[in-house]
Amino acid sequence: MATRLGLQKWYPEFFKKYGTYTVFDLMIKYIKEGRIKLDKSKHPRLATYHDPCNYGRKSEMKFGHGYYEEPRWIIDQCSDNWVDTFPNKGFQFCCGAGGGSWLTPYKEERVYYGRKKAQQIKATEADLLVVSCHSCYDQFKKSLRVEYDMEDLEVKYLWAMVADAIVL
Amino acid sequence: MEALDLINVPETKLNAQQAMACFTCATCVSGCPATGIDGFDARKLVRMAVLGMEKELIDARWPWICTMCGRCDYACPMGVKIGDLIRNIRSLRGRENVPGTLHKGVTAALKTGNNFGIPREDFVFVMKDVAEEFADEEGFDDFEMPLDKKGANILCTVHGKLPFGQTDDMKFWWKIFYAANESWTIPSENWEGVNWALYTGDDSAMKTMVGRIVENMEKLEAKNLLFPE
Repeated sequence: MATRLGLQKWYPEFFKKYGTYTVFDLMIKYIKEGRIKLDKSKHPRLATYHDPCNYGRKSEMKFGHGYYEEPRWIIDQCSDNWVDTFPNKGFQFCCGAGGGSWLTPYKEERVYYGRKKAQQIKATEADLLVVSCHSCYDQFKKSLRVEYDMEDLEVKYLWAMVADAIVL
Repeated sequence: MEALDLINVPETKLNAQQAMACFTCATCVSGCPATGIDGFDARKLVRMAVLGMEKELIDARWPWICTMCGRCDYACPMGVKIGDLIRNIRSLRGRENVPGTLHKGVTAALKTGNNFGIPREDFVFVMKDVAEEFADEEGFDDFEMPLDKKGANILCTVHGKLPFGQTDDMKFWWKIFYAANESWTIPSENWEGVNWALYTGDDSAMKTMVGRIVENMEKLEAKNLLFPE
């Protein structure tokens, strides 16, 4: 987010000289070109996906495209058993760890902030939560799971899901 | 009679985000998970900006409890940019009073090239060490860590927390690159992918950090940048 914003604002010529990929674009390219092969049976348990603010809603507002469908397509290649949260995409709830709040002393506030997201995840009854943001990952894995009685929930990066489904 | 122009008002740093256009409908408040924390109320925050209550806003905890998730902006019928307003308020606070480790990380990043202040030799050691560990896994025995490789197709940054303490989590992308037979590289200097200056409202530091990524692209003659996760 910051890098793309900064490049657009201060180094616009960068885009004439170099190509760019988001993590989603690159994974999709490898899958579509057949450069990686995935086995869906590696993820049999019910999964759900959390839209990160930065790659979703904020990308939509700042760059004109929110990465909503891309991660869902990727999950479809890794699993036949997943459900969405509601609300999602542009209207998702932030996990509570955005904006650098993981790095402030306001832990109690951050955990309370995450209650809505925790309720949503619980409502899906999923065993596996897929995320595509490092802050979300830490918030779910280290805070919300513990604070909201979801310790059996596995939290996994989207790229870990892909890596684990790879057939070499 | 001319229509009342609520958009083109003289701008100050804190009412420049169309704050004057606010209808006070409180859609932002209803949709925000932070509403009520410490009395946080996005509508009041916008009013305070319009009323010129800069000092109160700068001293408040509100802008740091908000996660800048943008749900308010997304729903606002008048296009008030509350997230940008929050960032501008954050930017006006004295750097010594930025809460937690945010500004310390920015300072470390400017000095060392990463938020955790990891020296280059330590970073190189960790990366090579973890790479050896990875090569021991079945199917990856000829894996080599492509640090500072020139002319790669993809240049990657690294999230500072990974070499700092979550090294296993770096292996997922390595595995994907290996399987896809990709030509990629990680710079051994200024490799940080996370720009905390976005959160502290520090444009000068943010620009420096982004500029270093551009320099690495030039120096290593990379073709494409993989945006930090």
